[in-house]
Amino acid sequence: MSFFITTDCTGCTACKAICPTHAIVGKKKHRHRIEDKACINCGACGRVCPAIAVANPFGTIVTKIPRKEWLRPLFDLGLCMACHICIETCPVNALDAALQTVQDLHPYPMLARENDCMACGFCAAECPVDAVTLEKRQG
Amino acid sequence: MTIFGRSKGFMGGIMVVDLSAHTIERQTVSPKVYRTFLSGMGLAAHVLYHRIPEGADPLGPDNMLGFVSGLLTGTGSLFTGRWMVTAKSPLTGGWGEANCGGQFSPAIKRCGVDGIFFAGTSPKPVYLYVDDTTAQLRDAGGIWGMDTVETETFLIAQHPGARVACIGPAGERLSLMAGVSTDQGRMAARSGLGAVMGAKRLKAVVLAGKKRIPVHNKEAMKNISRVCNKWVQFQPPFLPGFLTGPVGALLRIMPWAITQDGLLYKILLKKWGTVSMNQMSVEMGDAPVQNWKGSNRNWGFFKSLSANPDRLTKKEIRKYHCYSCPLGCGGICRTNGKYAHTHKPEYETVLSFGGFVLNRDVDTIFAVNETLNRAGMDTISAGHAVAFAMECFEKKIITRKDTAGMALEWGNPDAVTWLVAQMVNRQGIGHILADGVARAAARLDNGAKKFAFHAGGQELAMHDGRNDPGFVLHYSVEPAPGRHTNGAWLYYEMYQLWKKVNTAPRMPLVYAKARRYETGPDKAAIGSANSRFLNVLNGCGVCQFGAFLGIHRIRIFDWLNAATGWHMTPDEYMDAGTRIQTLKQAFNIKHGIQPKNCIVKGRPAGDPPMNHGANKGRRVDIDTLAADYWAAFGWDRKTGHPSEQQIAAVTAIS
Repeated sequence: MSFFITTDCTGCTACKAICPTHAIVGKKKHRHRIEDKACINCGACGRVCPAIAVANPFGTIVTKIPRKEWLRPLFDLGLCMACHICIETCPVNALDAALQTVQDLHPYPMLARENDCMACGFCAAECPVDAVTLEKRQG
Repeated sequence: MTIFGRSKGFMGGIMVVDLSAHTIERQTVSPKVYRTFLSGMGLAAHVLYHRIPEGADPLGPDNMLGFVSGLLTGTGSLFTGRWMVTAKSPLTGGWGEANCGGQFSPAIKRCGVDGIFFAGTSPKPVYLYVDDTTAQLRDAGGIWGMDTVETETFLIAQHPGARVACIGPAGERLSLMAGVSTDQGRMAARSGLGAVMGAKRLKAVVLAGKKRIPVHNKEAMKNISRVCNKWVQFQPPFLPGFLTGPVGALLRIMPWAITQDGLLYKILLKKWGTVSMNQMSVEMGDAPVQNWKGSNRNWGFFKSLSANPDRLTKKEIRKYHCYSCPLGCGGICRTNGKYAHTHKPEYETVLSFGGFVLNRDVDTIFAVNETLNRAGMDTISAGHAVAFAMECFEKKIITRKDTAGMALEWGNPDAVTWLVAQMVNRQGIGHILADGVARAAARLDNGAKKFAFHAGGQELAMHDGRNDPGFVLHYSVEPAPGRHTNGAWLYYEMYQLWKKVNTAPRMPLVYAKARRYETGPDKAAIGSANSRFLNVLNGCGVCQFGAFLGIHRIRIFDWLNAATGWHMTPDEYMDAGTRIQTLKQAFNIKHGIQPKNCIVKGRPAGDPPMNHGANKGRRVDIDTLAADYWAAFGWDRKTGHPSEQQIAAVTAIS
């Protein structure tokens, strides 16, 4: 089961442009389609669709959210074990690891490329110790 | 780059580097091998058994050195950041293994392999660099001679984001106490494997791969991890450090013992790290004192108070944790010396250079710890060598003529510092001591053998078999003898294996202490379960401290099935542990090691029994315990040899 595009689609290609796995096919101004096999259920297509024409696997229509309001991962370094599973799991490679204090021997994860982040929440979902939460962007 | 099949949990292959021919090859490993021996140490046993020829010189080109990661490493499981170094040990002449944390374990798998094996000998110093597109041997002439911290700092500056394992001057000088270091002082220290690396002129392994580690069922992995993490985060307030000694004394006085729940140990580890056990161990008789001849009477509460956990952790700047560890038993401490910071000394180091040599000066322990970490030398073996030298000095086997006038008296911190420097630099008496107490005793002669305590050539650790005979059993019978992580009755209690494994005998809640010293099938079953389970842990890269939580809280067998997609039962995984143990024992037999020669004799086994202190009058019937243990594996009771059929069954897998 994956996200799917309803008949409200105007073929604006916004979803196609943001899909990290190129799972969306369709010509401009024609209804687009999501290929089940390639879709990773990140939901980015729904968050950018101006026609509100994307439904999640449960059939609920996904609402468009202005990009500046998208949630961002926040790392609790007190809980983080520096296992880097969040970095591995990020489909758009928006996370990176860096030494964050002078005494750190481990590079801890951080949101290195904020503009690439699609707010999919995979990092939070995969974290074995729930050290990643999704929060609204500060400022 | 080769992608090995569609494996889950493991990467499906190894990298073989021939240092003589300067060739690097990736080789596929059959999934059957993983099912039979898991990964990690089991995979290494499989590779090394077949590839190291009989009679190979441990420091020669025929020996093979392996760096292996664990099956569960990088799969979303917890406590799975252990990596292992394996080779034919120059210290024991048989199976050599050392185990370490840090961040190096996932780095191996992210290079697309489960292990990297080095054969041959390079004509000049080199280091191996691997990333997603290249694998090269590079010149290490410029870093040969640097200490471990300098080497690592230099190589990470050259290769940002890479993880490094390297040797220091001790390994380069072929000290048989040398280990392999990572994260500026975490050490795969035992079995003298740093010397094997030094003999191969391999200074470092630098890994910068970014490959993803495949997992069968990520959701199940996370669900199991979440339960485990809840137990780890359970941290009620605990006693202040100076009261750990009286708790140890209470445990000593009680005529009965309570089966230990590892959750208590977890609370101690999370609060203080391994140093939490310093005073408690001395008071209850778990820590050997004064080269195994002393007791808590010689190293009483006020003398050991200097090493109480609060005092040691006072210098801690921040916690240190290994890969995928939510506990963080390590620590980074400030120092008074020339270095900005240092790793917090572990329990083994504090006791080796504390009570074992009657040294009360904690600053010396911090300094010696950093010196040895930088030199890449095992603190357990080095502590034994210092204590051995001090006893030889006391008995006039070593005199001031041998020590350039230095008085090697018990408790003299200057003598400790001086001896360690001598060993690191292989100067004077240090040159003799740097190859371990067994060889030093043989060279000194004059009755020195009576004061050299080792198992098959490897120094024993800071846990006294007279308090827990399981330690002396596992020091004696394991293919890599003398290591404290091999097993003990206490470990078995904390693993709580009987909750998942049908063949594991259940422990009563309370039992008379005298029962610890009994022999029989129950003790053999406990011993063999310890070994088999440890092989599973080492196959998966699981930290033993995590396993102490209890198998119902850290569900390793469930993680294994979720990571790999296998459907094996806990008993089947334990059978894999049996096969690994048989293969390692077969390795020793192949290389001419007689298991019965590794049995610990003398003071550590209570021969003669002590006449004072916590272990007064205690003697361990180690010969019977060992015979029963071998019989539990179906091996010959007298010799410890597996049968030909047993060896054939594990060596035929390919």
